[in-house]
Amino acid sequence: MTPVHFAFSSAFMLSLSGLAFYRTHLLSAFLCLEGMMLSLFIAISLWALQLDTTGFLTSPVLLLAFSACEASAGLALLVATARTHGTDRLQNLNLFQC
Amino acid sequence: MKLFYACSASTCVVLILLLLLYPVILSFIRSKSPKFEIYYHSVIALGLSFYISMMLLLLSLILPINMTVTILPWTNTDVFDMDISLQFDLYSVMFMPVALYVTWQILEFAYTYMHADPQINRFFKYLLIFMTAMIIFVTANNLLQLFIGWEIMGIMSFLLIGWWHGRADANIAALQAMIYNRVGDIGLIYAMAWFAIIHNSWDIQHIFQLPQNEKINLPLIALIIAATGKSAQFSLHPWLPSAMEGPTPVSALLHSSTMVVAGIFLLVRMNPLMEFNPTILTICLCLGALTTFFSALCALTQNDIKKIVAFSTSSQLGLMMVAIGLNQPDLAFLHICTHAFFKALLFLCSGSFIHSLNGEQDIRKMGGMLYLMPITSSCFTLSILSLMGVPFMTGFFSKDTILEAMSASYVNIWAITLTLMATSFTAVYSLRLIFFVLMGRPRTKPVSTMNEHDPYAIKPLVRLAVASIITGCLLVHYMVPPKMPVITMPPILKLAALIVSLIGFVIALGLAFMANKQLKPKPPSGPHHFSNMLGFFPTIIHRFIPKIILTMAQKIASKMIDQTWLKKTGPKAASNINKPLATTTSNVQRGMIKPYITLFLLTLTIAGILVYFTIF
Repeated sequence: MTPVHFAFSSAFMLSLSGLAFYRTHLLSAFLCLEGMMLSLFIAISLWALQLDTTGFLTSPVLLLAFSACEASAGLALLVATARTHGTDRLQNLNLFQC
Repeated sequence: MKLFYACSASTCVVLILLLLLYPVILSFIRSKSPKFEIYYHSVIALGLSFYISMMLLLLSLILPINMTVTILPWTNTDVFDMDISLQFDLYSVMFMPVALYVTWQILEFAYTYMHADPQINRFFKYLLIFMTAMIIFVTANNLLQLFIGWEIMGIMSFLLIGWWHGRADANIAALQAMIYNRVGDIGLIYAMAWFAIIHNSWDIQHIFQLPQNEKINLPLIALIIAATGKSAQFSLHPWLPSAMEGPTPVSALLHSSTMVVAGIFLLVRMNPLMEFNPTILTICLCLGALTTFFSALCALTQNDIKKIVAFSTSSQLGLMMVAIGLNQPDLAFLHICTHAFFKALLFLCSGSFIHSLNGEQDIRKMGGMLYLMPITSSCFTLSILSLMGVPFMTGFFSKDTILEAMSASYVNIWAITLTLMATSFTAVYSLRLIFFVLMGRPRTKPVSTMNEHDPYAIKPLVRLAVASIITGCLLVHYMVPPKMPVITMPPILKLAALIVSLIGFVIALGLAFMANKQLKPKPPSGPHHFSNMLGFFPTIIHRFIPKIILTMAQKIASKMIDQTWLKKTGPKAASNINKPLATTTSNVQRGMIKPYITLFLLTLTIAGILVYFTIF
């Protein structure tokens, strides 16, 4: 495993565990998601570069675009949560009641 | 001649029984008529029976024979016969007139005392049935007859103590008497069963003549237990002072002069069995000495006039037991007879005071009775002098002789010391009674309703007072004890009883005058509490032991079995084990986002690990 592989996969695992175990704020959960997306972006870019397949070089950009959409949707949710619940703490979010 | 004596004697007893029962039967026939008063009939019946019993006594004076008369066979089986048989010896012939005389006076007095009671007819009926039972008991030559008399007395005692059954105290006292007497009954039944099995006879004369071995100790101890229950000896004594909850005539008749001596009388009757048995005699002696001392000690600080007199009765019963233990049943019997007169008189006088003071029993609220009720007071003083054993009063002849026989014998020195101390205590509490009730100034309520105009209240007192002066002398002249006590003794021993009484009297007088001044703000001390609380005996026996039993029951049955084994280790354990699991599971599934994410990571990790191991 090359250092680059180790770097993006550990970044992905760290963001994933941050999402799972850091329990306070919704904002930090989104940040972790963003981190995951970025590490995925690096992984896909590396994939295209290493295999020298130019046809695949669009997919990281597509992923980045989807991640920007996801971030905007997340921020909108964050705002909506702050408006309805008054806070962005994760413990207020219940699947049984929105 | 013997036949004549037997015929006339049994006729006399049957006549007495019929006479005593006739007012009872009459009351059943005429119970509807409102004017019927059993009182006149019963007093006449008792008077007549007294004269008939005197005839019997005179007859036995002319012909001094011990005789048993079998009237008719009661039932017979192949191996065991029971006859109705009567015994005419010194004890039964002499005890009957004494008991009948005392009962006669008490019934006459009871009319004044109980005249306001709506159930007075029933009261007299109970007393008459009681007296019948007593006659059956003393004349019995047969353990079964004896037992019947004994049991009827117990039942009547229960009914009469609980006469005012509206009061909780009276009910408790009646129950106590019943339960303590049942303990004694167990002893008597045991002895009867033993005699029936081993000696195959309930006839007292047969039992005496059969050969004896050391196994006889068992039924004799059972008989002592019977006497302990009935005669309120130490350890079964608390019912006697409690029995004072009954009306005063009942206390006078049952619990001082006649019924309570039944236990002693039983031992007197059975004396030939224990004559040469030092173990049994020593038990009697120690029991009697302890009783007489303890009761006298308790009497010292009581404030209820009837309680004091009750404890003095208990003390005198202990003295009788001492005489049994000295192997002098004649002296014990003599003391039974003399004691009946002066103790009945003492009770009737107390009853008279109580009645005049509208039911006030506390001696601290009496005082000055000497001026208000002179005749009753004189009789009271006479009876107390007799109780103290002042020379040539009735009590002197028996009490002094017992103490003399005691100090001249070589028995347990502690028993002698205890009895002598009890004798001096007698003087102390007697003086206390006189000092508080008769002397000084009245401490009663201002309106005095007392008078001595009722002849029915005064006559019995005077008759009993005369009896307490002269009967001792008469009885002693009649009873020549077959077992002569020691004649020669130093003067200090001869006068021991008198000396200790005098010492007690002088000390008590000194104390009484000192006690007028209150020196400390809190006068009563430990010994006072001990005496005043009856030696803490009822507290320990009636509270402490049941408490231990109940606590043990609670610990074993309730706490250990019910709460620990059947609850804690059974259903509770199952629920306690399952509850954390259920709580955890449901806590996870509360719908929060975070747990799901965590679970997701967990699943992912496990899946990753599995895939890793599967591939490589």
